[in-house]
Amino acid sequence: MLNVKINGKEVQVAPGSTILDAAKEAGVSIPVLCHDSRLNPFGACRVCLVEQVGMPKLMAACTTPVTDKMEIITESEKLARVRKTAIELLLINHPLDCPVCYKGGECGLQDLTYEVGVTKVRFDASPNDTPVDHTNPFIERDIDRCVLCGRCVRICDEVVNIQAISFLNRGTDTMIGTSFEQPWNCEYCGQCISVCPVGSLNNRVYLFKNRPWNLESEKTICGLCSCGCTVSIDYECNEVFRMNEMPEEGVNHGYMCAKGRFGFDFMNSVKRETEAQITVGGEAKKATVAEAVEYAAEKLKGLKAEEVAVVVSPRITNEEAFLASKLAETIGTKNVFSTETDEIMPEGAYSEVEASDALAVLNINVTESNPILGLAVRVAAREENANCFVFYPSETALKRVATELITGNPDELAVKMEKFCAAMGGADNDFSAMAKTMLEAEKPVVVFDPYNKADAYIAQEIKKACDKVILVPAKSKNNSVGIVDMGFGKNNPADFAKGVEGGTIKAVLCFGENILVRSGWSKLEGALAKLDLLMVTDPFMSDTAKAANVYVPVATFAEKSGSFTNLEGRVQEVSKAVDKGVSADADVIAALGKALGAELPTDVYAVRKLIEKEVKLYSGIQWDGGKVAYPSVFKTEMEKASATAKGSGKFYLYPASLRLHSGSYTRWSPDLAKVYGTPKLELNDADANEMESAEGDTVKIKGDGFAGEFVVEINKQITKGCVSLPEDFASTADIFSLGRYLKAEISK
Amino acid sequence: MRKNIFETIFFTEILKGLSITLGHMFTKPVTYKYPFEATPIQDRFRGVQYIKTHADGSTKCVGCYLCQKVCPSECIHIETDCGPNGERLIRKYELDLSRCIYCGYCEEVCPVDAIHMGWEWNLVDNTRDNYVVNMRVLSQNYKDNLEGNWKNKHLKKKLEEGVQQ
Ligand code: SF4
Ligand code: SF4
Ligand code: SF4
Ligand code: SF4
Ligand code: SF4
Ligand code: FES
Repeated sequence: MLNVKINGKEVQVAPGSTILDAAKEAGVSIPVLCHDSRLNPFGACRVCLVEQVGMPKLMAACTTPVTDKMEIITESEKLARVRKTAIELLLINHPLDCPVCYKGGECGLQDLTYEVGVTKVRFDASPNDTPVDHTNPFIERDIDRCVLCGRCVRICDEVVNIQAISFLNRGTDTMIGTSFEQPWNCEYCGQCISVCPVGSLNNRVYLFKNRPWNLESEKTICGLCSCGCTVSIDYECNEVFRMNEMPEEGVNHGYMCAKGRFGFDFMNSVKRETEAQITVGGEAKKATVAEAVEYAAEKLKGLKAEEVAVVVSPRITNEEAFLASKLAETIGTKNVFSTETDEIMPEGAYSEVEASDALAVLNINVTESNPILGLAVRVAAREENANCFVFYPSETALKRVATELITGNPDELAVKMEKFCAAMGGADNDFSAMAKTMLEAEKPVVVFDPYNKADAYIAQEIKKACDKVILVPAKSKNNSVGIVDMGFGKNNPADFAKGVEGGTIKAVLCFGENILVRSGWSKLEGALAKLDLLMVTDPFMSDTAKAANVYVPVATFAEKSGSFTNLEGRVQEVSKAVDKGVSADADVIAALGKALGAELPTDVYAVRKLIEKEVKLYSGIQWDGGKVAYPSVFKTEMEKASATAKGSGKFYLYPASLRLHSGSYTRWSPDLAKVYGTPKLELNDADANEMESAEGDTVKIKGDGFAGEFVVEINKQITKGCVSLPEDFASTADIFSLGRYLKAEISK
Repeated sequence: MRKNIFETIFFTEILKGLSITLGHMFTKPVTYKYPFEATPIQDRFRGVQYIKTHADGSTKCVGCYLCQKVCPSECIHIETDCGPNGERLIRKYELDLSRCIYCGYCEEVCPVDAIHMGWEWNLVDNTRDNYVVNMRVLSQNYKDNLEGNWKNKHLKKKLEEGVQQ
């Protein structure tokens, strides 16, 4: 420990700390502009200059490491003058745009200008005047306001690892941009926006919509994927204006992804339903929620208990899922379904992934499907210099950090993964070296896709071969884990399809799920229409809601309180920010329960009490960030599943991780839909050339039992001879209901 | 004070009083016979606001929300958005004249010299709804102001006197 004096106050800090760290320890604040604690020190702005007693030269607090017995002064007349000059110099080229600037009111430069007290322009001001750049669909770039702090460039490199933007030119011509003025090769994660201290990189979804001082914030958990990011919902008068990062907070350390940052707008959508609807004999009638519930209850009373099924979506909260299971109990049915199963449970936490020294990512494009888990993998691979082995049919964004990237068509890849698994078990093959690295590592981690049975089997075998391996099943939706814990993973989703088709299920109570776009369930449209009762709750008139007899509009995650359990198995609290005048699923379930003669509480705390009592895993759980202790990852021994592609044809077809979306929910976001709204068939450029089709062309795809037409997107990273389609679109769910890997013919 | 017998006998006190009354009967009155007569408006009088426009008729206001923030009676409501070409667009600008206390803070805070306190004060109307004015009305006020289209006679007179706002 080193002893340092800051403004006369003695503190002890670890060797290697900077003066800024020491000052923080001493409770002294030093103004900064280019510094961000999550990034490597840079020292570009010279705003943080401090004096050391006995040294004539000033030094930058954010970059200078402390030495023992150092005496630092952070406030003096000289420093005040120097700081003021630094800001004055920045303001020479800075347009005084504050009243119309995106950042006005929460701007680092504006705050500093006030802090150091610049009131007059001492130099000849010559503000830049370059047109703003709108080439990125989500990010407005106004380089005139840039102070060249480099935070965007550093975060895109150090954290996101995409290097989409960099410094261009030299000297006074320096600016931030894409190399050679190319289009942004960007993940649209918006991390650069979140660190920009000025209004230079701006969120186009929030752009000019409001000003920060009008907004109130509510800390909550993002409900768009299983990562479980802590975010703040900024709202005014029940309108959500942005979903913003909370710097350094939560398991996500304040990072977010495109879905959260730019996709929240569906909450304000005018397409949201406000009134319940009862459809009798093909005729839809508006109704109150009470009437809808009463109608459903009457129908249920005429049916036998085992003819009723309850389906929940992984979007709803733990509390709601628990109430739904209580409702099923009241009815007396064991038919509780969701798209999730309880075969696989979480194990590893982000912190374990970040600290890992050897990682294997098995057949999942984790940066797209679970962006924050993707960031954790990148942290390990970059900061910890971990070995990172990535298996995926095409090249993924992890290519930059991967020690080895193993690609190939799905059949080849399956063989390679099996070989790797065998090598982990001691076999001698091409993957022995890789397996040795994993076996010798102290904290090896395997990330896999739990929805892929073949991969799950491999993960299980790896865990058997090497017990210290920590498994991270990358579940997909915000509460995929929680609804299973509340009892909705007991049954096989295929049984639901069988029951509905076979007529043993005559009534379905569906809370939030969009049955018709799920692989395995998408062909149930005809069967659902024959049901005596299909009650659907959804914020939107989804495909399934359209087929329902009873539809009730419900709240999104910003409009209710409760908790979600993320992919680590961490329970986190969701708080209500706005009210859109619709009921939450919990209210609908409780009302239905009441009509059937059961008193169900709707108060979150009352429900939690019940959960703690009845759900063993959650007894004594800390609802605000506690991790559930699962007994094991696999409930029972997984059986080896075949991963060979079915059918015949020249091309391999596999499901790609959804681009910019998470299920069918985010598709209601106008901004995300603008960039990715319809499913696209991704194709290698060589294959596209052979077929003479260009980006944007429509091609026909045909295989055993399916056919379709899709728009082509040419992607160099796709392996030749393979094509991919996103899951969770009605047209693609039908295809993938036949199997994960298919063979197909493609023609123009 | 001891009373003077002389003053008591000759009612001087009463006469003094009467002389003041008489004097006032012949001086010019300081009150105005409103509404038959116009009251004068001081140069720095703060009446109904107007918002300046550019030469092409578009508003000078940039929708910065500063007047909304500073307004102590919370009578300004603004909604902005991003236009199709990425420009700042004012969707709504509303000012509730019946809540306004005519403090002039909005005028003072405006960074682009858009909103101003006018001289117009005659707001008599038979419905409250008309008191919520929007950008169109506020811009029209500016035009009226320039052209001297005053509702009130006295303002016309003031303009004739050559005082420009
Ligand atoms: S970046 Fe900050 S200082 Fe610059 S115009 Fe915007 S608010 Fe003002
Ligand atoms: S959005 Fe993300 S990937 Fe794109 S430039 Fe910004 S930080 Fe980089
Ligand atoms: S764009 Fe923003 S974050 Fe990037 S260098 Fe400029 S001021 Fe810094
Ligand atoms: S004059 Fe005062 S009260 Fe009236 S709108 Fe302006 S700031 Fe508000
Ligand atoms: S302060 Fe001026 S520019 Fe800003 S919103 Fe009000 S009138 Fe418009
Ligand atoms: S904050 Fe230290 S140089 Fe910018």
